[in-house]
Amino acid sequence: MSRLLVDGWQVVIGIETHVQLRSKQKLFSKAPTSLLSHSPNTRFHAFDAAFPGTLPRLNRKCLDLALRAALALGCTVNERSSFDRKHYFYSDQPAGYQITQHYSPFAVRGLFTPTKLGNSIRIKQIQLEQDTAKSITNPSKKSALIDLNRAGTGLLEIVTEPDLRTPEQAAEYVRSLQELLRAVGVSDGNMEMGSLRCDVNVSINRPGEPHGTRCEVKNLNSVKFIVAAIEYEISRQRRILENNSSAEVLQETRRFDHDVWKTYKMRSKEDAPDYRYMPDPNLGTLVFSQEHVDSVRRGMPSLPASTRSRLLQTYSSKGVTERDIEVLMNLDANREIPYDGAESSILGAVAYFEQLCSRNRDPKITQNVLGQLSALGKPFSSELISVDRMGEFIDLVVAKRMTRPSAKLLLKQMLSRPSNAPVNHLAAEMDLLDTDPPHHKTMSANDDLVRDICLRAIDALPSEIAAIRGGNQNVMNKVVGWIMRETRGKVDPNSAKTILNQLLR
Amino acid sequence: MLLRRFASNVSALRAKDVSINAFVAFNDSESVSSNGPLNGCTIAVKDNICTSHLPTTASSAILKDFHSPFDATVVQILTKNGAEIIGKTNCDEFGMGSLNIHSVHGPVVNPFNVEERRAAGGSSGGSAAAVAAGLCHAALGTDTGGSIRLPASYCGVVGLKPSYGLVSRHGIISYADSLDTVGVLAKDVSTVENVFGHINKHDYRDPTSIDERVRERARNLSLEQYESNRHSNTQDLKGLRIGVPQEYFPSELSSNPIISSIRNILSLLRSRGATVLPVSLPSTKYALSAYYVIASAEGSSCLSRYDGIEYGLRVKPPGEENNIDTSAKIYAHTRSHGFGREVRKRILLGTYALSADAFDNYFLQAQRVRQMVRDDFDSVFFVSNILASSSTTPKSRKTDGVDVLIHPSAIRTAPRLPIADDAGEPESASRDTLQDYVQDVLTVPASLAGLPALSVPVPQAVRNQNVEKGDGWPIGVSVVGQWGSDELVLKVGRIIEEMERNGL
Repeated sequence: MSRLLVDGWQVVIGIETHVQLRSKQKLFSKAPTSLLSHSPNTRFHAFDAAFPGTLPRLNRKCLDLALRAALALGCTVNERSSFDRKHYFYSDQPAGYQITQHYSPFAVRGLFTPTKLGNSIRIKQIQLEQDTAKSITNPSKKSALIDLNRAGTGLLEIVTEPDLRTPEQAAEYVRSLQELLRAVGVSDGNMEMGSLRCDVNVSINRPGEPHGTRCEVKNLNSVKFIVAAIEYEISRQRRILENNSSAEVLQETRRFDHDVWKTYKMRSKEDAPDYRYMPDPNLGTLVFSQEHVDSVRRGMPSLPASTRSRLLQTYSSKGVTERDIEVLMNLDANREIPYDGAESSILGAVAYFEQLCSRNRDPKITQNVLGQLSALGKPFSSELISVDRMGEFIDLVVAKRMTRPSAKLLLKQMLSRPSNAPVNHLAAEMDLLDTDPPHHKTMSANDDLVRDICLRAIDALPSEIAAIRGGNQNVMNKVVGWIMRETRGKVDPNSAKTILNQLLR
Repeated sequence: MLLRRFASNVSALRAKDVSINAFVAFNDSESVSSNGPLNGCTIAVKDNICTSHLPTTASSAILKDFHSPFDATVVQILTKNGAEIIGKTNCDEFGMGSLNIHSVHGPVVNPFNVEERRAAGGSSGGSAAAVAAGLCHAALGTDTGGSIRLPASYCGVVGLKPSYGLVSRHGIISYADSLDTVGVLAKDVSTVENVFGHINKHDYRDPTSIDERVRERARNLSLEQYESNRHSNTQDLKGLRIGVPQEYFPSELSSNPIISSIRNILSLLRSRGATVLPVSLPSTKYALSAYYVIASAEGSSCLSRYDGIEYGLRVKPPGEENNIDTSAKIYAHTRSHGFGREVRKRILLGTYALSADAFDNYFLQAQRVRQMVRDDFDSVFFVSNILASSSTTPKSRKTDGVDVLIHPSAIRTAPRLPIADDAGEPESASRDTLQDYVQDVLTVPASLAGLPALSVPVPQAVRNQNVEKGDGWPIGVSVVGQWGSDELVLKVGRIIEEMERNGL
């Protein structure tokens, strides 16, 4: 525990995360949900604009996504919960209130163990609520515009107990939460697009003393900002407490300014608005039957932790390491999350990997190839190369029909120009295949070929050869590189080097 | 075509309405209504019910030029069934009021005798007056704490506040979501029954709309009970048990002519074989405060959407047009100018009741009282409340209990309209506070419990030496039943109506 102290201070952090549900329609209206790319005010119904006479209608699809989140976070799902109105006047709040779950949230008392954290984080509660509209103020034009596209989108507020102790733990919690919610299809968890935002509560105290007064930093939309905001708060609160033993940290709500990398005061406890919470008279009691919760549980995709341990169990004997699995899991995280918890028709990296391995392919090589994919600068997508074609490719590599550089070239080609042509045809077309499979080749034939190209190299690069002869072995790599380019990588670089050395001796 | 006839009659309607002010908009389009069972039936719609072809203002300046993009479900149903919506009727602003004097369109004058300039009652005053003046066959109203029954009583028409959850509220401008109920006003019970029969339907667009099976069960339960106790002879009311809630008849009002009229009705019903029993609803004395807290709290919430941003009136703070920091001031100015005095008062009350310091003592306490009021009713009715959570546990079958309750709809006849002050708002007239109190006692409990309540006009009692002289203006008797027993309530209403027709 002592390693978590910062110059004798214990840091206590709790996080409230707002997560947009990945649903086709909004929480209480049939209006379609929106992406940032949609034109403003094209995705709302009369209810979302709070027109008189409109009433909320609960979207059951949102409830099932909410249940998935609750189950994934090990929460107790309350059989009965209810909705409340949180009142405040703001231009992004058309009804003058937000429908949320203040008095009786649907899920409580969860426990979540992020992969890289030793300890578990207690989840206090999860509540279901409406997202706001967006107001866009333009100070130069002195105008404020309102975009209702986001108004009424289903949102989960996931609240931890104050169980985090360092900015890094907070970052790890948020990253793991993001991975978890994506894995079960609850949200795309995209912080840049605003579908996952955090409010962070920070306090510091001397070990053995009660927790200090906390300050809340609102609306952080990147892990970097979360870490920076917490670090800033720690040093700010330390300055207050260390400069004057009788000074106190004041309870405040603060904002993070990412231009100057500091938090600043938004309002003090005294200015805290009275939200006049009132049970929503329209929506009544939200009832989750045990049967329904069970059926959602049965339909849940597997959680990242169990996917990890399963992969490790299945493939570690074949040389696949924990690190390799992390690479796969990271590739998997790029996949598009389908709406309303539907099963994706597109394979994620893990499923792709397992399908490839299921046909008796070496998992270690397969994982290596998939790892290469991201090195080629394209985000992984199983759409670009089908499992079958990737299989053919791996088979060519395993059969040593290509050198590594040729294989890389072929993979690049397959990525940039998706086609259905058999992979070995493509390789042949590109003249990347060794003319004979290695077990048919006689060494001498191979040696002859290599010898020919080496002789050509000696002719073509006289000054480099002179340098090698003069004892500069480093230039050898340049000559081998020329041979590789000329032969499109068909020659094994090591044997080229050996033969060159023989010829130059 | 009937419809064309009425369309061309708009100018005649307008002329007749000048002295009453029941209508705030007339439908002069010649749109052809569909064929259906309500062909020939002209219906006026209270102005807090959304219509896409006519403006919907809820009698508020804040919605002065508001046109709803959609029709309320009730309007859709009536139009689809061939009824003709002839116009929108005046009401108290957002349904807040009991005299229809808090309206941006001015007060409604009771058509019973225009010369006397008496109130039509509120908040559905325009709907009641339109029916009473013969300007339409039926009218839709809304009732949050008596807003259909009171004007029905003052204007001498039949008014039904159905059980909460039977008629869709989709398209009704909310005042207090947990109390607002759409109902029907007409000259006779059978017209009310006919129109109600069409709009008594589950609507998926209203989350508080009750499932068809549940309403069917409640309906059958109440009717079976009633039928099984009765002889086939329809003239004989033997088996009908009528409860008279003693809290609704304080001794101070024993000489009130209306009370004696109700006594007459009760003795007639008894002479026809009905059993009349005194019953007690002991929580009644707390019901009023609970009602005011709940209605104004919900009102403050439901009306927070009127901020001048998405639609409706927007009042910019003077001299600060170009400052974007003034959005809070825009809300303040818009709401201060757009809402009338009575609405502002209730919003302030409700805002206080919901504030963190007051919430437990006011709002939560009021909810507990509301439950007590429900329990009171459940304990006097023979059939159990199908919606009560206790009905899930098998309850021993009651051997006593009543089928319906009967009491006066109003404690007085229509009062005179107050004189408007300089601001165009009615002065708060000094009134008999006991009468005010009892007036609310008569209508509010059924609203809190969500029960069906029907007001039927009755003639004033024959004068005798023990009773003050009546003024000859209409009075109404209310029939209240268990949740979902609307049909039974209408049956009893019809019996009273027939007795009246036969000269009692």
